[in-house]
Amino acid sequence: MQSTKSSVGIIANPLSGRDVRRLVTKASVFQNAEKSNMVLRMLGVLGKMGVDEVFMLPDVSGIASRVIHSLRHVRAAEASSLPRVTFLEMPIRDSAADSLKATELMKERGVSVIIVMGGDGTHRVVASASGDTPLLTLSTGTNNVFPEIREATITGLAAGLIASEKVRVKDVASRNKVVRCEVNGVRKDLALVDLAVSTECWIGARALWEATCLRELFVSFAEPDAIGLSSIAALVHPVHRSDAYGLRLVVAPPGEGFMTVHAPIAPGVLVPVSVAEISEIRPKEIFRVETPRGTIALDGEREIEFSDKDSVKVWLEMDGPLTVDVNKVMQKAAKNKVLVQQREG
Amino acid sequence: MAELKKEDLLKAYRTMREIRDFEERLHKEFATGKIPGFVHLYAGEEAVATGVCMHLNDEDRVASTHRGHGHCIAKGVDILGMMAEIYGKKTGSCGGKGGSMHIADLDKGMLGANGIVGAGGPLACGAALAAKFKGKGGVAVVFFGDGASNQGTILESMNLANIWNLPVIFLAENNGYAESTGVKYNVPTPNIADRAAGFNMPGVTVNGNDFFAVYEAAGEAIKRAREGGGPTLLECKTNRFYGHFEGDAMTYKAPGEVKQQREECDSLKIFAAKATASGLVTAAELEAIDKEVAALIDEAVEKAVAAPNPTEADLLTDVYVSY
Repeated sequence: MQSTKSSVGIIANPLSGRDVRRLVTKASVFQNAEKSNMVLRMLGVLGKMGVDEVFMLPDVSGIASRVIHSLRHVRAAEASSLPRVTFLEMPIRDSAADSLKATELMKERGVSVIIVMGGDGTHRVVASASGDTPLLTLSTGTNNVFPEIREATITGLAAGLIASEKVRVKDVASRNKVVRCEVNGVRKDLALVDLAVSTECWIGARALWEATCLRELFVSFAEPDAIGLSSIAALVHPVHRSDAYGLRLVVAPPGEGFMTVHAPIAPGVLVPVSVAEISEIRPKEIFRVETPRGTIALDGEREIEFSDKDSVKVWLEMDGPLTVDVNKVMQKAAKNKVLVQQREG
Repeated sequence: MAELKKEDLLKAYRTMREIRDFEERLHKEFATGKIPGFVHLYAGEEAVATGVCMHLNDEDRVASTHRGHGHCIAKGVDILGMMAEIYGKKTGSCGGKGGSMHIADLDKGMLGANGIVGAGGPLACGAALAAKFKGKGGVAVVFFGDGASNQGTILESMNLANIWNLPVIFLAENNGYAESTGVKYNVPTPNIADRAAGFNMPGVTVNGNDFFAVYEAAGEAIKRAREGGGPTLLECKTNRFYGHFEGDAMTYKAPGEVKQQREECDSLKIFAAKATASGLVTAAELEAIDKEVAALIDEAVEKAVAAPNPTEADLLTDVYVSY
């Protein structure tokens, strides 16, 4: 069911930002009221860019209801320029399954781009199903690496410029790397930024906020100005998102490695990490996890428990989600004077 | 991130099994009509009480709820005394005069189950204030449900605890229903933990059916409180397998809802699967605990049934404190 009109998808995860990092680090709480306001700011510019319809993830946690309430009370002058807003008809499970289902439905409806509002975890879920549909990423929190921290108006504007074909998606979107893993031959979830092997036995409260349990770290990219586990690698060997390789880093017991990196592994947390090895990894180069028992953390959250009976393999792939570079979109828009109107005469 | 050793895992499983068997047995015994008063069963929520109370000692205080059997067992209250109390017998924890909703044991730090929804907040603040003055690192935990999260007592206690930086943990047991009202109808935020922001307090939500998640988050909150870091709101999302009270037909739940929860979200099954997969404990060790606990619960019921009732003279005991 392809739409002939221009349309955009918005997935605003109402559940992001409530994990244990609020207790053990200085991570902030991102209120759903602000997520609703971000959506409303984006709707305004999407309409002005000529987007006909916006499909949204429904929720029962207040984002959708605030958006509906605001749209009902919008002034007449504004109403005419707003796109039609359609909440997808789907069961709401209040879990990651909602973001996954919404991604699939938005693809079916042929949206030009999907705007994702959430943390690394939300983006990972959407990325697992987005295929060739480009994503515009927006961070809702202080704890993320993959999505951009940016004013939503500009992200909405970039989405509108692409959906209305004022900027060509092929000029501004690129494929991301991912780190994949399998356990006993079964493919598991992917990591967009970092996959960590930890000696913590249990998924527990999910987040990893202590470096002492780290054994290995695989990163798809490593930016020195990022927060989180990838910063350990980034401060030694920065890797760009577009580089055709990633990194593998082996952690040593405190003081026993050949260097110690002081890394911001969580908001407000700067810890020393002793490094035994660091090396570049190539796509499809397979690494077997030697740690006998522990957990695999994907983008900073423990997701997979394993023991010495399990065979765990990790590798880098180039087939991650397609994402739009907002900076490039706006550069193109400026160069081509897309948003400039010369005075006549 | 505290490490759990084999003996810790076995202890956690024993506590969770004791709570489950205690409640499953009470479900049957209550139907015989021999138990006076009301009982509200904790089955399904075992991981919460166990994951929290494993971090507490007898000096730490717990303020409980009407659904308090699990908190009592996890806090170390004698199971034979609890069963006798629920039967209203003289050998009960409170001499048989309190019943299910007033089981208390101050020697174990159990301030009591409580028939008033949300009443535990001020009690825990008081206990936490005392602990702060004593300066020995004591903490207080108040358990409360999603319904109680809307009570003024709980919200005022959160305010007070944060103003005075008290070592108190607000432990929200969100089982999805305030008696028969679904949480989406009476809590305006996706999580109860979201309310913490209004008090400038950390608010965390974890899977309350996963012992390991509760244990870890509660451990961090309690450690923070002991070290003078102040209060935390920790929300554990869980399920109750029985009605609000025994006799509640649960017509407000969807057909098959509890059956599905028992299959997919049973805290004991989740624990056993994870603990045995880790290789740290064996299925045989867990089965041995099952047998010991079953025998203990049999003994508790037999002794409670056979125990004498309180006498008329007992009416005038435990009424006033002597100074």
